Amino acid sequence: MRRRMKRIGFWLLLLAYGLASYWVFTRSSPLLKERPVTIWFAHWQIERGPPDGIAAVIKRYEELNPRVKVVQLLVPGATIYPQWMRANLAGGTGPDLMEWGAWVEGQKDIPARYFTPLTSELAQPNPYNRGTSQEKIPWQDTFHDKLLAPRRDSPDPGQIYGVNITETSLRLFCNVELLRKITGSVAAPKTYDDLRQILVKVREYVRRTGQPVMGLAGSRDTARAVAETVFSCPLLGVNQRMDDGGNLYLYNRQVLADYLEGRWRYSEPAVKAGLQLVREVTQAMKPGFIQLRRDDAMIEFLRGQAVFLFYGTWDATTLRRLASFKIAPMKLPSVTPDDPEVGRYIIGLGGEGQGETSLAMYLNKSSPHPQEAIDFLRFLTSVPGNQIFTDNSGWLPAVDGVVVPEEIRNFRNYQEGYSFGQAPYDAIGSEVTILWDKYFYKLVGDQGSADQFAAALDQAMPDAIRTDLQAELRTSLVLVKPQDAMIAGWAGLADGDPADRRARARQHELEAGQTMTEGLVLQMRRTLDLTAGNAGR
Amino acid sequence: MPTPRLSCLALFGLLPPLLGAAPASPELNQAWTALANSRPRDVLRILDSDRGSRPERLAWAAARMNAQPATDDNMRAAEKVLVELATGSDELAAEAAYLQARLYQMYFVQPDYPRAAELYRALAARQPQSHWAQLGLVKLAMLKLYVLPDATTAGADRLAPAEALLAEIHEPLLQRDLHRQIGQAGVVLKQPLARLLPHLVAADRIGGITGTAHEDLIVQIGVLSLRAGLLAQAKDYFERYLREYPTNVRAWNVTRLLTEANRQLAKEGGG
Repeated sequence: MRRRMKRIGFWLLLLAYGLASYWVFTRSSPLLKERPVTIWFAHWQIERGPPDGIAAVIKRYEELNPRVKVVQLLVPGATIYPQWMRANLAGGTGPDLMEWGAWVEGQKDIPARYFTPLTSELAQPNPYNRGTSQEKIPWQDTFHDKLLAPRRDSPDPGQIYGVNITETSLRLFCNVELLRKITGSVAAPKTYDDLRQILVKVREYVRRTGQPVMGLAGSRDTARAVAETVFSCPLLGVNQRMDDGGNLYLYNRQVLADYLEGRWRYSEPAVKAGLQLVREVTQAMKPGFIQLRRDDAMIEFLRGQAVFLFYGTWDATTLRRLASFKIAPMKLPSVTPDDPEVGRYIIGLGGEGQGETSLAMYLNKSSPHPQEAIDFLRFLTSVPGNQIFTDNSGWLPAVDGVVVPEEIRNFRNYQEGYSFGQAPYDAIGSEVTILWDKYFYKLVGDQGSADQFAAALDQAMPDAIRTDLQAELRTSLVLVKPQDAMIAGWAGLADGDPADRRARARQHELEAGQTMTEGLVLQMRRTLDLTAGNAGR
Repeated sequence: MPTPRLSCLALFGLLPPLLGAAPASPELNQAWTALANSRPRDVLRILDSDRGSRPERLAWAAARMNAQPATDDNMRAAEKVLVELATGSDELAAEAAYLQARLYQMYFVQPDYPRAAELYRALAARQPQSHWAQLGLVKLAMLKLYVLPDATTAGADRLAPAEALLAEIHEPLLQRDLHRQIGQAGVVLKQPLARLLPHLVAADRIGGITGTAHEDLIVQIGVLSLRAGLLAQAKDYFERYLREYPTNVRAWNVTRLLTEANRQLAKEGGG
């Protein structure tokens, strides 16, 4: 009996082993074919287009590099990505390559803490550009805008941390049939006042027909996009007035410092004119828009319940694939000095430059495979790699030399004019944005007004702005302090091997960067000290 | 048998001095690499504060300065090692003295700027040719520009103390960095353009500035030159900006200012 039981046990064991083996070799990942290096690539662009484009680039890259496997991680951006990013970076489980943006609230310190500068690599030609028009050109100069945003948003003015994949702009997507039905014309508004008149006609149409149609598809996100665009117009003159340094540009830290020094206020006429414009455009959105998100606005537009959707060209592929009507991307006309309402506060046309590249990818400082990760970035932003991305995503390329498909070519039809600041005054710091949102109800709706909103902001802002400038200072310190040890490390490596010119160059590069950032720290500290008694006023 | 034993002992006796000149130990290389990659805790795992060669102890102190928890006790532990190392007269001693000054400027919970300044000054007096002394002079000049008591004297020439230190710096890259800092401080401290502009130009001439700092510097020199009436210089910098950054959002504005500079030059008969 015991022998029989033993025999049954043995056969059961053998059967279980056989089943397990079958499962491992047929159903789970192919263990024997696994590549030695895996690069994790995380981003939040889950719209239609980019995941396809990046997948196509990965497929080609893996054909060229049999050692490396690249895994694309799609993480929803609005609410999940920031927490997910910070938790993984802090826990040491962050992916090798990650998307980051300076506007993501509360995440300003991330590059300084967790990312590695790519300055040296960007100064060299991209080897994947061999045989193309970009061969022998330094990698950073192959980008359409020479990496404007990663240079501008770098915590260290001497370093470049990110590499961009695409180029985006904001456009007024128009439901052409609806526009014709309401106005009798399909002509794009040439001036801001033309747009104002169209929005008036939409309201008249609604009153006349009772149809549930709005001028602009509404949501918190689309409202912010359109509000910031129109708000920026009168701010050009305010920024120009405060540009003591002659940079033709004001960084957020400067605008914060200028507020603390009493050089501008929300209630001054030019800024209030901007608030009036924000009120105007949000009046064209449905009530309660502030509770809705970008997807709700897209649904409203796709249902034919709004004439325009103002948002980024990053949604163009989704709109094109999902809409049952013809969509025309138009430019939101800039508010000009001849505007009948606020023209006296406008110094000239606001400009978009010649386009700004975006979808910035950063290298995690803790990546176990930094060289392979950089190599994938090189391929993704080479002429052949970026061409694959563009062809498969319907998004603009970031690098020169890529052929832009006909249907998205007009996304590069930019407005030229003044551009004077890192951000409009609703987004110069996290605390500022929180207060802006908190009091926004005082601006919009039948009971709202620019006067009461400006007064509420000026009452509450001094403390918030002070907190934001302190946060800017802390972020800079996060960068500056570890650099002493890093400098000592590179100096030690260079001393140990005098032939290692890279180590010595890196030491000097870090010293220069540290000095620059330290200068900014001292400037911010000085402002905070000099204005210490002004908080709350 | 005693003879070989003696020679063995003699050989072992010679080892420590020989090790001093030998290539760096694997632990030291590992420590420098970890520091360079901002992983100070790895260094503290590899090295001890009170044992090892002088470079190893320096690496330990640099790591201690940057590892968490950043308490004053830990900073004092780092300082103790740095003070011992700074007693020599080589580059390592200078680096240790420099890092000690950095502790007072940046790392103790309550910064002590006068003490940091005193240490930078002493290092420059003791080893003026050392790179670390030169770097310390840059930091000292920045303290003089913004925070040291004599910088608050009303009506004082706020740039002069930093300019005096500039004369002691002979390394071009450090000269460049200080020129740039003096120029920027001149803007913040509202000094006359004629005082600050030459520093920005000098920084640009030495070259090698990267990132957005380079772009900012070129446009800044152009605009400030225009404001100062240095039209030919403004024109040169605007043209250079447009060559180097043709697609930048500032290019339109720079083009407008270039037109203005050209117009004024023509009016003066210099264009």
